[in-house]
Amino acid sequence: MAFKPGGPGKISFPGAYWTDPEPSGEFATLVIPIKRVSNLIILEAKVDTMEGNFVLDTGAPYLVLNQTYFRNYPHYNEQDAGGINGDAGVAFRTSVRNLDIAELHYDRLLADVTNLSAIENSRNIKVLGLLGTKLFSKFVITVDLFQNQLYIHKLNKDGEIPAAEQLYHDPILKMPFYYANNAILFKASVNDNQLWFAFDTGAETNLIDYRQAKKLLPTLQVINRSKLTGIGGSTFEVIYAKFEKLSVGERVFTNNKVIITSLEQMGKAYGRDIDGMLGSDFFGRAVFTINFVKKEFIMYTNKNE
Amino acid sequence: MAKKGYIGLLLLVFCTMWPALAQIRQNAFTITDDQMVLYLDLKLKKADIDSLLRIADIKGVTVDNLLRGNFNQLQKDGWTISHMADNKLMLLKPLNELAANAQMRPFLITSNMVMHDKQPGYPDDDIKFGINSFLRQNVHELPSGVTRFFLPSNLKAKKVLVSGNFNSWSTSKGVMIKTDSGWIYDIKLSAGEYLYKFVVNGRWISDAGNLLKEDDGFDDHNSVYFKYNYTFRLKAFPRASRVMLAGSFNNWNANQIVMMPVKGEWVRPMYLHEGSHIYRFLVDGKWTKDPSNPNTQTDAAGNINSVLNIGEPGVFKLNGFANAKSVIVSGSFNKWNTSELHLHRSGSQWVLPYALPAGNYGYKFIVDGRWMTDPANGNYMEEDGQTNSFLAVKANHTFTLKGYNNAKQVRLSGTFNDWNEPGWAMVRHGDTWTISVYLAPGKALYKFIVDGNWIIDPGNKLWEQNQFNTGNSVLWMER
Repeated sequence: MAFKPGGPGKISFPGAYWTDPEPSGEFATLVIPIKRVSNLIILEAKVDTMEGNFVLDTGAPYLVLNQTYFRNYPHYNEQDAGGINGDAGVAFRTSVRNLDIAELHYDRLLADVTNLSAIENSRNIKVLGLLGTKLFSKFVITVDLFQNQLYIHKLNKDGEIPAAEQLYHDPILKMPFYYANNAILFKASVNDNQLWFAFDTGAETNLIDYRQAKKLLPTLQVINRSKLTGIGGSTFEVIYAKFEKLSVGERVFTNNKVIITSLEQMGKAYGRDIDGMLGSDFFGRAVFTINFVKKEFIMYTNKNE
Repeated sequence: MAKKGYIGLLLLVFCTMWPALAQIRQNAFTITDDQMVLYLDLKLKKADIDSLLRIADIKGVTVDNLLRGNFNQLQKDGWTISHMADNKLMLLKPLNELAANAQMRPFLITSNMVMHDKQPGYPDDDIKFGINSFLRQNVHELPSGVTRFFLPSNLKAKKVLVSGNFNSWSTSKGVMIKTDSGWIYDIKLSAGEYLYKFVVNGRWISDAGNLLKEDDGFDDHNSVYFKYNYTFRLKAFPRASRVMLAGSFNNWNANQIVMMPVKGEWVRPMYLHEGSHIYRFLVDGKWTKDPSNPNTQTDAAGNINSVLNIGEPGVFKLNGFANAKSVIVSGSFNKWNTSELHLHRSGSQWVLPYALPAGNYGYKFIVDGRWMTDPANGNYMEEDGQTNSFLAVKANHTFTLKGYNNAKQVRLSGTFNDWNEPGWAMVRHGDTWTISVYLAPGKALYKFIVDGNWIIDPGNKLWEQNQFNTGNSVLWMER
């Protein structure tokens, strides 16, 4: 079941012969204030004439727009039901003329339009969309949840942040990741069993597929079981649990919270199976940097500690 | 057969590894390779068994039923029951039940976990009063009525913003203007509690001069500013040495609010929440009502308290009924008190001025003991099977529906009235049905009910899908 790098994987991009134009902007490093709502990372951006809140979501492949506000955008191509949409069959693909994240500008971008009302209604915040990985694929981003700042760095010719722009030093973790279908994937160990994880800043907790749950034994502590309601009123079950040891790179993280569920559908968004997702419970512990060009994931301790 | 053998093996494990009583909650519910397992010791207290059932999200099963050996509901829910020695049970359920209706995105799972009733970064609506406390006052009221935020120094900064609940915590609005000593931003605010921070070159900072702060939930704090709407004044007792104010708004704490001597009188400006308040002054240890306020109320102990009503002023009116002896108004605003609010005769009308907090209320008149809805008000609502007239105080949104001229009845239902059925009745003016209501800041979902048919608002292009696949109209109220 585990994802095999380089193995066959279906990339779902029906009918698209589209290369997004290069992002532009006069800056070396952009400092963007982050807003926090529960475990979501929110920043403001402007799509054409609409300005408002977006979720920084490395679990999303590119720009995803909330159907409530972008329903009347042109349908570039009907997306098949297995896309990243949570509301199968009604999402569509469109293009936007402009996206601005502070001084960073994008011309003519592909975007998916889907139902994000679940985020709005549970968090009581207006959300125009999700900012996915492809938007940052030419940059390094650093997320400091202790100062609530996002840094977007341009890179030098070596694919590094120029020394003068480097704000954080002495990483506690530095490791490569696989970048497939715009997803950040790496191996990590749970109680010494290797699993393939997607790194997802839109996941408010860690998730592990129920078929891998036995790898959490013997230190797994089940907290409870819960029946939840999805979009469309269908119910599904999850198990909340804790486990002791998560090893990422050379670093061990203890006392990890996790939801045990089925990741079968989420894996389809990546075109392949994944065993787990590392979300807020993991990344909230340190400042983290994603170098999309060198495909490196780096963590730093909070510099104020 | 294979499954039975598996359970047999589990039973063996179970017999030898029954969790110690002290750990019973921690280990009672667990998972094995492909099963979830709940161990139940029926000798435990009922409350403990109940809590174990809750951990496993087992609903509709009573402890009494279990003790009587009735496992019908458990079996119906897919649990396999194994009886153990010593009045213990082991319940098993396949783990692959977690595969049903697998969700496509993490937020579809996690948005179920935490529900925010109030908007994040917004104060609680139930704060009764507020007094600012500055080490260095960086927020000022200008004579023009606008509020000026000031961030001293930071003159080398490129861009400075003030962000708060007054601008939806925007990180693009609230752009401050540079002066020779710092940065300023002017905004017109209504009375209330405001949370804010400055954003200097993209970095959040709180107001170092403001001692009032509120935990922002992320190891930092938001600064708090109250825009005032009332000043208590006491002209008597100019020679007193200490005057305190206490009232219903601060739970009669006589050590909290100090009146300040200013030009021969005692004053205390503050923010006071809308509604009815009672208060007294404590002058050098002796209680006194407000001599300049004729509105008083005597409490059960015989104390005379001064009464203050803060809110949107309005008038209840009832035309006619010239021969009636008594007209009373009663509503959800006074908990349907039937003797408190008497209208008085004025010309051809019965009238009563009022001041109520912003909100939506049901009310009725009581004319010589007989309840009636307000004949001049076509907006009404149903509460507990009763039809009451509808009153919106500080109405901030008017819902309109055009083009249903032949409808007999159009009503409004949404998150703001808990999807009230049959909804709040709208009034027809020409070809348009309307109702004005007060909506709290944040998101509202709603529908119109036209002669019993639920429809989304054809005049609002914002809507979202609901669990019935029929859609709800979406409206955001900004502060």
